[in-house]
Amino acid sequence: MIEVLPANPEKLAERLGEPGWLKEARKGAAAVFKAVPWPDRKTEPWRYAAGRLKNVPFDLPLALPKERSLSRDALPAVVRKRLADADLAGFLVFLGPDLVYAELAPELEEKGVVLTSLHQALRSHPELVEANLYKAIPARQKGNAEDKIPALAAALWTYGAFVYVPAGVEVEKPLAAFFVSEAEELEVSRTLILLDDHARLAYAEEHLSESEGEAVHVGMTELILRPGARLVHANVQTKNRASHHLYRQRALLEKDAALKDLAVNLGARFALSEVGSELLGPGADSEMLGVYFAAGDQHHDHYTLQHHVAPHARSDVYYKGVAKDEGTIVYQGLIKLEPGAQKTDAYQTNRNLLLSRKARVESVPQLEIAANDVRCSHGSSIAPIDEEQLFYLETRGIPRPSAENLLVAAFLEDVLGRVPLENLAHHVARVIEEKVRV
Amino acid sequence: MANRLEIQDLWVSHEGKTILKGVNLVLPLGEVHALMGPNGAGKSTLGKVIAGDPNYQVEKGRILLDGEDITELTPDERARKGLFLAFQYPVEVPGVQVANFLRLALKERLGQEPPIAEFYARLKEAIELLDWDESVLSRYLNEGFSGGEKKKNEILQLLVLRPRYAILDETDSGLDIDALKVVARGVNSMRGPEFAALVITHYQRLLNYIVPDVVHVMMDGRVVKTGGPELALELEKRGYDWLKAEVAGA
Repeated sequence: MIEVLPANPEKLAERLGEPGWLKEARKGAAAVFKAVPWPDRKTEPWRYAAGRLKNVPFDLPLALPKERSLSRDALPAVVRKRLADADLAGFLVFLGPDLVYAELAPELEEKGVVLTSLHQALRSHPELVEANLYKAIPARQKGNAEDKIPALAAALWTYGAFVYVPAGVEVEKPLAAFFVSEAEELEVSRTLILLDDHARLAYAEEHLSESEGEAVHVGMTELILRPGARLVHANVQTKNRASHHLYRQRALLEKDAALKDLAVNLGARFALSEVGSELLGPGADSEMLGVYFAAGDQHHDHYTLQHHVAPHARSDVYYKGVAKDEGTIVYQGLIKLEPGAQKTDAYQTNRNLLLSRKARVESVPQLEIAANDVRCSHGSSIAPIDEEQLFYLETRGIPRPSAENLLVAAFLEDVLGRVPLENLAHHVARVIEEKVRV
Repeated sequence: MANRLEIQDLWVSHEGKTILKGVNLVLPLGEVHALMGPNGAGKSTLGKVIAGDPNYQVEKGRILLDGEDITELTPDERARKGLFLAFQYPVEVPGVQVANFLRLALKERLGQEPPIAEFYARLKEAIELLDWDESVLSRYLNEGFSGGEKKKNEILQLLVLRPRYAILDETDSGLDIDALKVVARGVNSMRGPEFAALVITHYQRLLNYIVPDVVHVMMDGRVVKTGGPELALELEKRGYDWLKAEVAGA
């Protein structure tokens, strides 16, 4: 772990040609980074991950844009493979910190839909970016250990996506962004997705690796949903086993806004995913789904936050994890209801399936309720794979790895079935199948 | 030694307790044998051990399938060699659709992906024979099935997978007479020179519909008597006590 940032945030802002307000924000974040300690076991979402954090090489050189671009045919093979069975209205491809390829259906462009890099958006839509960046994940946090990594991310991000859907515009086919990590770098990204009143969008972000080298990625995603907006959002991580992947996502949901979110962690050696929704307006609805599968010595750590500020809002978390070999899977979640959040419906469920005795699992759902007229429930379960079911399937000629795969797929079926991105759900199911068999 | 399932001096224990104490039994291809006996005789244990249930330890003896020793094989390897166990208590597998499960199992049985047309032809034929409805195919395997439906589902699998040797473990228990007839019709449709069945039952009732060629009686972990179909009738009439006395006196 490092005590000094690997780059000077002010110089970075100058190098990247950023406006003054952003330079100031980076400076402020750098001050927070300097002031707060690294998370340890007592830091809320880090209870089980603090040990892993020590092995993350934050001292790798910061990934700086090199202004590369690629033709569609020259895109990394992992991306071309994904594009082959996706039906997208537009997508971005980042190779390390460079946006190397972008395309967007012309009719969406005409309607004012924006799909580009955040730095490009700083030039093309400066007022939108300034008004919304750091809104869901502030650059200057309260100042405790939990803020160490978000502060690093706010001070040092060098790339990321910007998506904007104007009021009333409905994007029918999904948009996507592919982030291909490069080895031996510290990659710090920031994504901002902004849906104006009653806009509709489905967007999937995938994090992949092209090589087998070690890499660190710190990513922050801010989702802003104006009144009546509806967003389907997925974050799918299938990186190589030498990667470290730290991800935080916060959504702000105004009146009657609806988010359906899917967090998937299948790759990386260590992945921590913190996903939160702030229900700021009545009628807001946040459904947060999660699927993760740790094998070998992988550690997949998840934290969810359902923060109800407004009354009459609904949130539902459904996270399912699988672990085999000596994999570790962790789920922690908090339903937090402010005093004004009457008539809230909030649910939280975490289920875990273990394929080996050496796998480790933690499941910690929590409620913090300051309102009295609400409906809340939470539940969690941990179970080994059912030997009787396995034997039954085996007696029908199905070999054990296939039988295990069938049971894992059956276990995850209800989560993946709730994702309205069919191609993506199939892709996730295929990656899981490969992991069960190896 | 080909064309038969043969159990040779099989000794089996479960959680430290010896349950099978030297079972000898030969089931030639083309025949249907009944295995009867009082509760606790070891009939169901024998069925599970033949299928390869890892909860039971084979202490001694062998199981030969078409002359090949399968005692050490895994359950799926045995099944792919043509063995089938219809469970006394079929297991519920939520999230796995009957049709998908059957397609995967048939693929393993055939060693290759079955042509779609052939797969559906087998399914359709089996469902009609069992007076069933195609809606069962999209249900999750045994989940929420009645006791009778679960037994029917075992026979559906039998009909689709077409094993050479089937062990039916108390497939009649919990069935009303109509369901019993349907199940028997399914099993009888499989009869022929390339199929053999070992029908485990407490009661003679099933044997009115699946008439066995040979009847074996098990007691205290061994096969103590083997005879023709008339043996089942005699047991129905006289119970097991006379046989117990006969065995004790021998």
